[in-house]
Amino acid sequence: MKMKRTCISILLLWFACGAAAAWAGDLDPFRDESGAIKISGGTAHIPVMKAAADLIMQLNPKIQISIAGGGSGVGIKQVGEGLVDIGNSGRKPTDEEIQKYGLVLHQWAIDGVAVVVHPQNPVKALTSEQLKAIYAGTMTNWKALGGPDKAINIYTRDEASGTREVFWEKALAKGEISPKALFVASNGAMKTAVAQDPNAIGYVSVGHIDDSVAAVALDGVAPTLENVKDGKYKIARGLFSNTKGAPQGLTKKFIDFIFSSQGRALIVEQGFIPVK
Amino acid sequence: MRVAGQRAITAWSWISSLLLTGSVVTVVGFVLIKSLPVLHWRLIFGRTPPLEALWRWAPVTGGLWPAIGGTFFLVITAVGLALPFGLGAGIYLADCADGRLKRGLTLLFDVLAGVPSIVVGLFGFSLTIFLHRYLSARIYPSLLISALALAFLVLPYLIRGTQEALENLPNALRLIAPALGATRMQNIFRVLVPKALDGIAGGVLLSIGRCAEDTAVIMLTGAVASAGLPKSLLGSFEALPFYIYYISSQYRDPQELQQGYGAALILLLVCAVLLATSLILKNLLARRVRGW
Amino acid sequence: MRSERCMQSALAAAAWISAAAAVLIFLFMAVLGWPLLGNGDLMQVLCGPWSPMHHQYGIRPMILGTLCIASLALALAVPVSLGCAVFIQVTAPKGLGRALHHLVRLMTGIPTVVYGFVGIFLLVPLVRNLSGHGAGLSILSAGLMLSLLIAPTMILFFVQGLAAVPQSHRQAACALGATPVQQLIYVLLPQARRTLLAGVVLGLGRAMGDTLIALMLAGNSVATPQSILDPTRTLTAHIALIIAADFESPEFRTLFICALILYLMTTLAVAVMRRLAAKPVEIP
Repeated sequence: MKMKRTCISILLLWFACGAAAAWAGDLDPFRDESGAIKISGGTAHIPVMKAAADLIMQLNPKIQISIAGGGSGVGIKQVGEGLVDIGNSGRKPTDEEIQKYGLVLHQWAIDGVAVVVHPQNPVKALTSEQLKAIYAGTMTNWKALGGPDKAINIYTRDEASGTREVFWEKALAKGEISPKALFVASNGAMKTAVAQDPNAIGYVSVGHIDDSVAAVALDGVAPTLENVKDGKYKIARGLFSNTKGAPQGLTKKFIDFIFSSQGRALIVEQGFIPVK
Repeated sequence: MRVAGQRAITAWSWISSLLLTGSVVTVVGFVLIKSLPVLHWRLIFGRTPPLEALWRWAPVTGGLWPAIGGTFFLVITAVGLALPFGLGAGIYLADCADGRLKRGLTLLFDVLAGVPSIVVGLFGFSLTIFLHRYLSARIYPSLLISALALAFLVLPYLIRGTQEALENLPNALRLIAPALGATRMQNIFRVLVPKALDGIAGGVLLSIGRCAEDTAVIMLTGAVASAGLPKSLLGSFEALPFYIYYISSQYRDPQELQQGYGAALILLLVCAVLLATSLILKNLLARRVRGW
Repeated sequence: MRSERCMQSALAAAAWISAAAAVLIFLFMAVLGWPLLGNGDLMQVLCGPWSPMHHQYGIRPMILGTLCIASLALALAVPVSLGCAVFIQVTAPKGLGRALHHLVRLMTGIPTVVYGFVGIFLLVPLVRNLSGHGAGLSILSAGLMLSLLIAPTMILFFVQGLAAVPQSHRQAACALGATPVQQLIYVLLPQARRTLLAGVVLGLGRAMGDTLIALMLAGNSVATPQSILDPTRTLTAHIALIIAADFESPEFRTLFICALILYLMTTLAVAVMRRLAAKPVEIP
């Protein structure tokens, strides 16, 4: 994690000095622009969006980029209603949504959804069946799984979350989620909550995993970037930035930047796999 | 009543007071101690030199400056929107309305004061969606909408502050100008309001404090995690209380968490100073009135 | 004279527009919640469980959650607040009472979000470790912090109530040889009874209306709580969480019902409070 921060600071410093010859071109389109871009939706996307926005706003203070969370459902709905310019989603919008709003999808990364526990928890591997039982609320103690004799605290996300949708479909096979589960509002909040609670189990975007939480191998496959990339880890999804119709003006430049070599470097830095 | 019973009551009052004081000292002390290591201009301006940010509006990343600026503009707009109505209604209650009309109006203002801020936020949000669809596609959740919703929230504070300041004036003062032939409005605007000005100002400061600390309204109506300094009334914005809420659940490393403590300390100080000034102003008025 | 009339109508307009705001908010919520209010779904919404997966959008757990947290906060805050008010008005050495009074006034300015922030990093781990059960995000954590939030409001109200008892009554008791505490028991408390009750009702209204503390500390789960160490979700937190949902979905519609319930409960609290406090008291 610290590495990540240091990397970003060094990068920023580099740009401030104007010495980044290799990538300098990718930001050029923003030089003579002004205006605002509103982004909302998927919370897994926020670190990448924020890093890109910081670079652009540092280069040209006349551009204002606002980033809000809310979850994938919100992103799709708000961009469809024209409330924001870019609506992010951590799941592919349904055909119905695409048709209703005339959405154009831009998938810029592949990500996985990993089960996480507190780093001190000795349980580091689960089977799908065990996971389903935990989330359904029928398996309630860590002892049965080789952990301490403590009640399991289940954490989940709200209905608007794309991460929840993917996890529910692919990991739980649309099984029950106990009403006793504690709710958190974003990927970031899930990580923080699990990092603070020794008896927690939760799920986050693979890109958000760091040493404050421990990823759990599911059916023997660890949720690493490599396994997601190879397709071995099944709970994978794309990260989408959606626009209503083809993107125009500043919004187009922002999306183009995400797909540029510098944007791809940002995506890698934040722990995701850029799409070619 | 036996002596033991009396002693018990005295002890209970002492214990309660100590408990309360202890809790407050713990809360404030915790924020203070945790934020001490980050008390540096970098907390506010991040990596941007402070003078650059202040004079040239250089963008600040990694500092609280955008959130502080957002809260500042939000408060100015909200109180600016509410002020004419709050003052007008307060004066009307104190000097024009009587009997049943006055009771009815104060009931409605008390109801408004009791409405939870999240309900006001939901109202603001639904209103925005409604206007966006049926009036203009350019209306989004934004600084203006948040300010409007907050204006609803602080209206009762302004009204009550103004009304009380005017009603606390001695009755004799109320009669002098009319006896000399002044009309009712002349009396109100030339005599009573100027005399009650510090009390009214106290009410205004109190409502500024309410605007600055409220989180529930703005999280529904346009506050976002990252936006930079607000550039227009129709844009999204950052705000200190929302920043604190956001960091509390999704800080990414210990440094960011410490910034959260720093933000909490700043907000705490701002609110304390506003409230203390407001109380002092009200006291000034009360003392002057007693002197007459 | 025309400007005189203009001025007066401007003032009246300001008052009426402000008053209309209170009604407007209610009407807006009622109209938007109407699709659910109008047909028979209302009972299902009020009494059913929340499980969007099974297309059940009941808010009973949130109503219970709100009541649990608010009553716990009240149970904790009332004795302490009354004790503090007695301290300020009766038992304190002179300077100390005034100091506490000032502190309490300043406490009303502490932002809710700061209480929530401190709660997450100080209280929640404490509750988790001491109880050894659950995540620490619980009714207890939220209730404790909430009691601290509503205490100053109640103390100021109580102090006003005790101070409003006519000095002559106290002096009469004093002349009969009553000690200050005896005066409190036999004169002040009985006479200020209605104002004290009004203060409690005001505190209850505040406790039900707060969002941030419950949202940050109560865990927001949708099961009906069994003990004070269980997590729960309040109506206010429910609004804050579901606001993110699609605003045409049935989930979103229930928000207006939540808002209406909150509006009615706080309005009821205000009405009861006004009836109880015989003469108008300054609401802190």
